[in-house]
Amino acid sequence: MVEVKLHDIGEGMTEGDIITYFVKEGEDVNEDQPIIEVQTEKMVTELTAPKRGKIKDILVEEGATISVGTTILTIDAENGSNEEDKASPKDISETPKSSEPVSGHDRKLEVKGPVRIKAAPYTRKIARELEVDIEQVQGTGKDGRITVEDVKDFKSPGEAADKGENVVTATKKAAESPMEDENWIPFKGRRKKIAKKMTQSIYTIPHVAHMEEVDMTELLAFRQELKPEVSISIAAFFIKTLAIALKDYPIFNSELDEENGRILLKDSVHMGIATDTPEGLIVPVIRNTEGKPLSDIHKEMKSLTAKAMENKLTGKEATGSTFTISNVGPLGSIGATPIINYPEVALMAFHKTKKMPVVDENDEIVIRSMMNITLTFDHRVADGGEAIAFTNRFKSLLENPKLLLLELV
Amino acid sequence: MTTVKTNSMTPVQAINDGLRTMLHEREEMVVLGEDVGINGGVFRATDGLQESFGEDRVFDTPLSESGIIGTSIGMAMNGMLPVAEIQFFGFVYPAYEQVMTHATRMRYRSMGAFTVPMVIRAPYGAGVRAPEIHSDSMEALFTHMPGIKVVCPSNAYDAKGLLISAIEDPDPVLFLEPLKLYRAYKDEVPEGKYEVEIGKGELLREGEDVTLIAWGAMVPVIKKAAQLAEEKGIGCDVIDLRTLSPIDKDIISESVQKTNRCVIVHEAQTTGGLGNDIISIINDTSFLYLKSPIERVTGADVHVPFWALEEHFLPTPERTMHAIQKVMDF
Repeated sequence: MVEVKLHDIGEGMTEGDIITYFVKEGEDVNEDQPIIEVQTEKMVTELTAPKRGKIKDILVEEGATISVGTTILTIDAENGSNEEDKASPKDISETPKSSEPVSGHDRKLEVKGPVRIKAAPYTRKIARELEVDIEQVQGTGKDGRITVEDVKDFKSPGEAADKGENVVTATKKAAESPMEDENWIPFKGRRKKIAKKMTQSIYTIPHVAHMEEVDMTELLAFRQELKPEVSISIAAFFIKTLAIALKDYPIFNSELDEENGRILLKDSVHMGIATDTPEGLIVPVIRNTEGKPLSDIHKEMKSLTAKAMENKLTGKEATGSTFTISNVGPLGSIGATPIINYPEVALMAFHKTKKMPVVDENDEIVIRSMMNITLTFDHRVADGGEAIAFTNRFKSLLENPKLLLLELV
Repeated sequence: MTTVKTNSMTPVQAINDGLRTMLHEREEMVVLGEDVGINGGVFRATDGLQESFGEDRVFDTPLSESGIIGTSIGMAMNGMLPVAEIQFFGFVYPAYEQVMTHATRMRYRSMGAFTVPMVIRAPYGAGVRAPEIHSDSMEALFTHMPGIKVVCPSNAYDAKGLLISAIEDPDPVLFLEPLKLYRAYKDEVPEGKYEVEIGKGELLREGEDVTLIAWGAMVPVIKKAAQLAEEKGIGCDVIDLRTLSPIDKDIISESVQKTNRCVIVHEAQTTGGLGNDIISIINDTSFLYLKSPIERVTGADVHVPFWALEEHFLPTPERTMHAIQKVMDF
């Protein structure tokens, strides 16, 4: 029998949600056939069958959140071998054995050996004090470790945590059932991931925000001129222009290696695009923007943001940016103090473009399309003067599209 | 309200002041060692004492550590209060037999008829580019043996107060002086006699997240590390142990039970280092309070290297910060 377990699909994930089963109990499957769709904090991915055979037991309900190492289903492998086969696609040596409680199901499981509990002594103390049987608690910490919060979550549902009812159901109930006079929403998954990353960024990096206004009139007119031929979004111009300006000021396309006392200037600009999705903020990445034509950038951006909206980004598409933009203008915003996408050095936000009376070089009041931009940067790595020079370079290219053309490769 | 007059002093000046205070106070006290007389000691810790108290009370000895300690034991058993200087702690090995075989067990051997009220003063530790053996930090060789107390101040106030307590103590006390801190900074030190109790650590700074423990020259290191940690939003309890034998178990366990995490910093080598005993104390008193394994930041398991590599051997605030991050991220 082969146990299919949730393994770490990347980035040290600790848990995932089972979205869909493509198979039923009793169904035959081929090796490498997709059998389950799993949602992690960043992406949706398919797990495939490690062996050819018949689906025996499905142990986790659709929709359940389970931690890495949990057995999802079992397959009666062909070959007639009765050998216990631990065939999770990337088996983890310290994976809990199948006697660990399994989510979403009250099916009895065979106990195959002693239960290994991963919990710090302090967590065990809290469990004793709360009279929680720690062996029943599902760990959500690093490497499946049980945290104090897990113990408290387990305890809080009270009667819901009956014997025989598994842990994930219990914690889920805790999250879903509102307390008497308050409404609780779960703080987990992507929200928790975002929170962790933001906290890490703001506690590690001394942030400075530098603001500037950009006259968008010429660029908007240029874009209109192009329109009969090709439609390029304004954001694509931002990305291309930034790639050019970053070549002149590479310090903003770098990463600080504080431990070894050095700064890595990145060869390429991989542009992260902060995207507001129903599930929360996610940052798809356009790679090597410096070498791509505007039209490619435009297409790639459309495709990536669409995928982000549908939660279909692959791990590679959602990681590895070297600089990030946040184009909040379309949502409406005249200023912000954005948080840097750690471990990057800077982030630029684009605010709402609106027509405004502006005094021109002839001291006349004219109507121009003006946009505010904010550059947040890591003051450990760069100073205000460089930030202003970088922003000015960006501004001059954007305000004068002909100048931008000279720089295009 | 009584006011105490204080003077600004370096740790080595405070030690000199402590010796002078006690030479006035206790007629039976003598100071002996290599070059402690006319020369005033290799670090000037006994500067001017022979001039003030005469050759009968402050005197030079032959170049024989075993002789210095053996003589001191004899004097102590016969009613005197010898304070012996070992020029560098690394030179104590020839005297080790005298300390271990006689000084530490005379009270036990004589069923209480004799005690050995002597003090062994010794500058210890690396970081001053001294030659080989001079920089050893071998406190654990002495804390292992019952019958001798081991103290190690990290500042001028404690240096004088602990030295006076050591001289007043009826049993042998090893008084370790962090070489690197001798002239590192000044503290306000009260005039006259005062004692800092042997066996009590001091909480120098309070925080909620991690307990940092060190002594002697590593105390400034953990103070700096605590500042680095605070910049990252991590609060540290900073403990100066001050006495290495007997260790203040209460201050350690109270702090660890509060913070649930601990980093120990010492410049002695890891293996057999005192950090291991502190881990055992935490294990005995506070196991169920630990959120992460205890980290040690120590000297490497090699002899203290020659000066060009010395800084790589010694713990730094950055290495300590790394350990703090490790216990936080566990």
